[in-house]
Amino acid sequence: MNGFVGPDAAGTAATWVAAIVTLGVWSYAVGGGRIFRLAQYLLAGLATGYLVVLAVREVLVPWLLDPLVADPAGEPLLWVGLLLAAALVAGRWLPPVVPAVPVALLVAATAAFALGGAVVGTLLPQLGASVLVPGASAGGLLNAAIGAVITVLVLLAFLHGTRRGRISGAAMSIGRWLMLAGLGGWLGFLLVSRLTVLLERIGFLLGDWLGIR
Amino acid sequence: MTEGRRRPALPGWTWPILLVGILAIAVLVEGAVAPGRLVVANPDTAAADALADAVTELPDGSLVLVGMDPDLGTYPEIRPAVRAALDALRARGAGIAVVSFTTEGRAVAAAEVARLRSLGATDDRLLDLGYVAGAEAGMVLSVTELAPAEGGDVPEPFAAARRGIAAFDMALIVGGVDIGPRTWVEQVGTRLPELPLAAIVPAVRHPEVAPYLRSGQLVALVGTARDGAAYAAAGTHADGLPSATGMLVGLVVALAVMLRAAWARPRHDADGGSPEGDEA
Repeated sequence: MNGFVGPDAAGTAATWVAAIVTLGVWSYAVGGGRIFRLAQYLLAGLATGYLVVLAVREVLVPWLLDPLVADPAGEPLLWVGLLLAAALVAGRWLPPVVPAVPVALLVAATAAFALGGAVVGTLLPQLGASVLVPGASAGGLLNAAIGAVITVLVLLAFLHGTRRGRISGAAMSIGRWLMLAGLGGWLGFLLVSRLTVLLERIGFLLGDWLGIR
Repeated sequence: MTEGRRRPALPGWTWPILLVGILAIAVLVEGAVAPGRLVVANPDTAAADALADAVTELPDGSLVLVGMDPDLGTYPEIRPAVRAALDALRARGAGIAVVSFTTEGRAVAAAEVARLRSLGATDDRLLDLGYVAGAEAGMVLSVTELAPAEGGDVPEPFAAARRGIAAFDMALIVGGVDIGPRTWVEQVGTRLPELPLAAIVPAVRHPEVAPYLRSGQLVALVGTARDGAAYAAAGTHADGLPSATGMLVGLVVALAVMLRAAWARPRHDADGGSPEGDEA
């Protein structure tokens, strides 16, 4: 039981819809393209409707319209926000430079936050954690040393257009294999992840829908 | 000549049906022969213990923010662990506030909040903070300011929540494909270094998030099917775990497919053809 639906009529209807759509999506694997496309359209339509409701109910009304109606002069910045939102919505009928302004602001702000966070929150702390600390335990030192060696070898594998000697060529080859091993490990995680989800769906069909589990 | 002796290959569409059929039989047989006796388990409980300890060490009357941003495709994998963690927080007496920074996460969060309310969670123990738009920018704003999804007043235990994420004693991050523990570490962890961040993510995200646990930026991480099984089995949601027989059969099938692919490659070379990659 996924715990989201109850045993009442609405729950039964939801279970049937979920089961039919699950089978519809699976039908793609056996050539049922039309049923799969129908499920895709259903998902796209539902997602669009859901996004509109979410944007209006949880973003535009409480954070933009309500404050503007309650106190139009209280937050002048909200008027700027309203103008930018209007420029995006009406972008099709406006000169291209007008909708480009909110888009540029969006991209720039996202890039600034993401880049700053990546440097301060990931790059520097992870570099710090990778440095060999003299006072660390033998296991910690060994781990860090192995990590450093693997990092160097994998970086070497990305060297192109340089002359290869015997040693550098071997190091690049080892780096490539290490990279493939890492990719294989990640694919293993992916396999377990997808297998778990597939078994959950099978369990849903056998248990929640057919009731034979 | 040898072509004539080869058995005709099954049509491609039969393989998916066979796979689902085999897995369904495995699930049914397990349920009929050994119900509850075969479970997905993990002898290494370090990751599960770390999350359990993080919850146990919370002060009395603490506030925990659950950053609920899983994606619909992988949430079933981590659902037992997430529910076990929510149960553990409720048992600890913590006030739980739920917030989402992705629209998909908001859909799951709304369903989980409704489920918790149907189980008896009251407004003074559970607060729905809804969806915060703006991705990273919204997250940074939330460090100092949060408001409930429905607007209006917040119950007394959550009054401090209006001061943003800074007012909470711990954040439990339920991650997916978009915004997850990495974004939390980068945007919130750097601004609130004292706030303990714990995370539950699907196995496919584990390699990306694991370094943050080793560097101490996360206090706990349940990020593989094994860790999830260990944590859920120790809690209250062992029944939500995937079928152990199904997992075993599925992995054996995957291994067989892999071996077949490895076997087919040299034969292809021996036939005189060259792999596509070599021609590139």
